[in-house]
Amino acid sequence: MHATIQKPMNEIIDNLKAGEKVFVVGCGNCAAKCHSGGEPETKEMAERLRRRGVTVTGCACTDNGVSLCKLAIVKKMLNETYKAETEQADSFLILACGQGIHTVMDATEGGAVHAGCDTIFGGETVNDDYITEYCSLCGECIVEKTGGLCPVTLCAKGLLNGPCGGAINGKCEVDRNRDCGWQLIYDRLRELGRLDEMAEYITPKNNSKWSRPRSLSMSGSKATFKSLAGEHTVSNVD
Amino acid sequence: MSKLKEKLEKGQFVITGEIGPPKGVNLEKCLNDAETLRDYVTAINVTDQQSAVLRIGSMAVAARLVQRGLEPVYQLTCRDRNRLALQSDLLSAWALDIQNVLCITGDHPTLGDHKEAKPVYDLDSVQLLHVAKGLNQGYDMADHELDSSPDFFLGAVVTPGLDPVEPQVIKMKKKIDAGCRFFQTQAVYSPEKFEDFANKTRSFGVPVIAGVVILKSAAMAKYMNENVAGISVPDSLISEMADTPKEDRKKKAVEVTARIIRQVKPLCQGVHIMPLGWDELVPQIIKEAELS
Repeated sequence: MHATIQKPMNEIIDNLKAGEKVFVVGCGNCAAKCHSGGEPETKEMAERLRRRGVTVTGCACTDNGVSLCKLAIVKKMLNETYKAETEQADSFLILACGQGIHTVMDATEGGAVHAGCDTIFGGETVNDDYITEYCSLCGECIVEKTGGLCPVTLCAKGLLNGPCGGAINGKCEVDRNRDCGWQLIYDRLRELGRLDEMAEYITPKNNSKWSRPRSLSMSGSKATFKSLAGEHTVSNVD
Repeated sequence: MSKLKEKLEKGQFVITGEIGPPKGVNLEKCLNDAETLRDYVTAINVTDQQSAVLRIGSMAVAARLVQRGLEPVYQLTCRDRNRLALQSDLLSAWALDIQNVLCITGDHPTLGDHKEAKPVYDLDSVQLLHVAKGLNQGYDMADHELDSSPDFFLGAVVTPGLDPVEPQVIKMKKKIDAGCRFFQTQAVYSPEKFEDFANKTRSFGVPVIAGVVILKSAAMAKYMNENVAGISVPDSLISEMADTPKEDRKKKAVEVTARIIRQVKPLCQGVHIMPLGWDELVPQIIKEAELS
């Protein structure tokens, strides 16, 4: 999931021109889980803007569990269900991640957009109140060698071959309340009786798989990942 | 040829020192610090933007040492350079007659004075050693042949005082496999702990130069215990410093440092003295430690 947090209200207001009419859009999936742009927050944002004198033509959020980054759904929602309200608006304020923002632009054929949230990371929803990051979307997963824990993400320096010398009592040099990623990997491999794997050299990352923007196309049972490293196609059946 | 390499390969005990490049362009003080060490050390480490605080570059200062006939250990961190810059800087350093390189991870930018800097770490220290070894063999890390190659004497760091020390030992072995030919350690204050580490790593067969930071006061000891990874100054040593009147602190610092050196000497192949400004004490420490 894409974690998002609402921008401060002053920043949102500052980005609107005097008299600009706004339609507020939320996301029923990730932003809803982050309490940054689900249905209640979308309605609340419309009210908060109105209280500050902004003309809000309406608001809409995808259904519970449905992501705003699904173009067909957003087209229908904005161009059919909420046609009257969106036609009156000068711009869209999106309470979702950057993918959602672009989906609204696509759905409205280049409509003006404002980011209502900062997109902060891709994470695991540990419970209703806590999301944390375990993957950096690097395009080249190496957790096979690290007991399932990603050093690119869990180590502040993204080191691939073991800890630096900066941890004290298993806590990272950048924040003494944060676990050292390599201490976690060491503990995990030891627990699994696979400590010998920590001695294996891990080669430098292919950063061209991490160069943005990237794309994925699906055709039948085949998927093709395209990045600066080239095209890479796999089949998910034998 | 690197004197450091020559001595270590002959099995001789070495002394190395350290200078920190300044924040600015006036090198007078740091070159004077290096001169103080001239007659006592085999090589002098030049730190690379230590503590992630912006400084003049370690390559420039190392080159100035070479000009004066002093042998530098050029510290190169992975923090600020991608793989292109690391390789290019290595080649540049060789062109400036810098032969010893200490390949290190580098403190995270958030610990320094440019907290919003992008941390690079395109390579880690093990990978950097691998790449530097490749340059020595005439190839860059994309396997392209160089038209001529350097012949660096490659070193790395290890922190023997960390608990548990096993992850450090595992990484140390990886560094050796990647081309590391000597180690310099974080400051050692507990010879017992260092002995345990030495026993665990003796079979690696690569020389270890034990780090020694001159202890200036009890307050400094307490600060390091809380804030510097892998340093644990024993309580007995803290009391010893605390019981020393201020005017006798330098004398005590010499005594304590010399004692630690005598204790670790049989367990390693050299000492790396980090004077932190008390450079003038180094000759006396070396004398009292019976190294001269």
